[in-house]
Amino acid sequence: MLSYLIAATAGNVDAGKAIALALGIGLGSLGAGIGIGNIFGSMIQAVARQPELRGELQGIQWLGFALTEAVVFYGLIGGLLAYVLI
Amino acid sequence: MKRALVAASLFALALPNVAAAKGEFHPEEEFEQHPWVSIHLGALDLSITKAVAYLMLGSILTMIVGIVFMRARAGRSQALGEQIYEVAQTQVAEQGLPSKGINRWFPYVATLMLFIFVINLLGFVPLPLSDEKWHGVPTLGIYAATSSLSVTLSLALLTFVFTHYEGIKWNGPVRYFKSWIPEVPKIMLPLIVPLEILGQFMRLISLSVRLFANMLAGHMLILTFIGLMFVLESIYLAPFSLLFGTVFYLFEVVIVVGIQAFIFAALSAIYIGSAIEPEH
Repeated sequence: MLSYLIAATAGNVDAGKAIALALGIGLGSLGAGIGIGNIFGSMIQAVARQPELRGELQGIQWLGFALTEAVVFYGLIGGLLAYVLI
Repeated sequence: MKRALVAASLFALALPNVAAAKGEFHPEEEFEQHPWVSIHLGALDLSITKAVAYLMLGSILTMIVGIVFMRARAGRSQALGEQIYEVAQTQVAEQGLPSKGINRWFPYVATLMLFIFVINLLGFVPLPLSDEKWHGVPTLGIYAATSSLSVTLSLALLTFVFTHYEGIKWNGPVRYFKSWIPEVPKIMLPLIVPLEILGQFMRLISLSVRLFANMLAGHMLILTFIGLMFVLESIYLAPFSLLFGTVFYLFEVVIVVGIQAFIFAALSAIYIGSAIEPEH
């Protein structure tokens, strides 16, 4: 697969750039996806065990969600910087 | 259902702006700043651009929201005002600020939350404030002032300055800067101290880039999905493009706008609170 990609993009700098940037942001979102899944999974468990804590937990949940989600955007900014700098 | 219909029709209004580009598609042009009224003070560029216009509109709207909802005597607007106030107090201020600093800093974090919420939301309302002209009239476009790094960086700088000002004021400079250094073996200090100092500046970056990149990416996603049919020049893509564009539009308006405003205010409160009471 990788060798096919290399062969297809040999001599084509733009295609190589596009693939590199897309792969970068794709792999970057992988980690954040796992993290966000973890947060909501734990939240479901917590509320299932102690439903009366829902209100308190919700604030922490959204804080964690936003902090994790922001990681993708650091990757995005890195990608944009790379795109501008090349 | 009613709300979805309103959002979808508002979204349709934003279309002519994108339609101007046929075959070629440059979503990044939406985020360029062209000076409308040039004001230069020496080396200082104070020109009024799209972002400045949105910020002015946002400030006026924030004041109106404050006056209408917080001063309301009865009915639904009072209930809504109380709800906003309660979120700002219990979820934002009391989570981060210690009780001795809450009177002083509650107005700041609450204003921050409301202001960012209003300018974020304003970014998803089609307004005739774009740089493109159609028969001399500016076309409708969606643009958020917070999708410009300068705006979010200046907001984050406010929090940064207040954090250290409060830390020095409550603890004195020596005790405050000492509180940055965690308790570790002496041999680790040369490694830890630069990291801790760097960490203080990383807060500035993470606070500003989080908001900026979220709004930028949100607008880019919507633009790209709508732009897909112009790039590939195929009308059959329209249902797909519109569907996904609308889905992302709703996702941004319902979830991201509120969360980002909340996060910015909550983190500001936590940072200021941790400076007032370092052991907290």
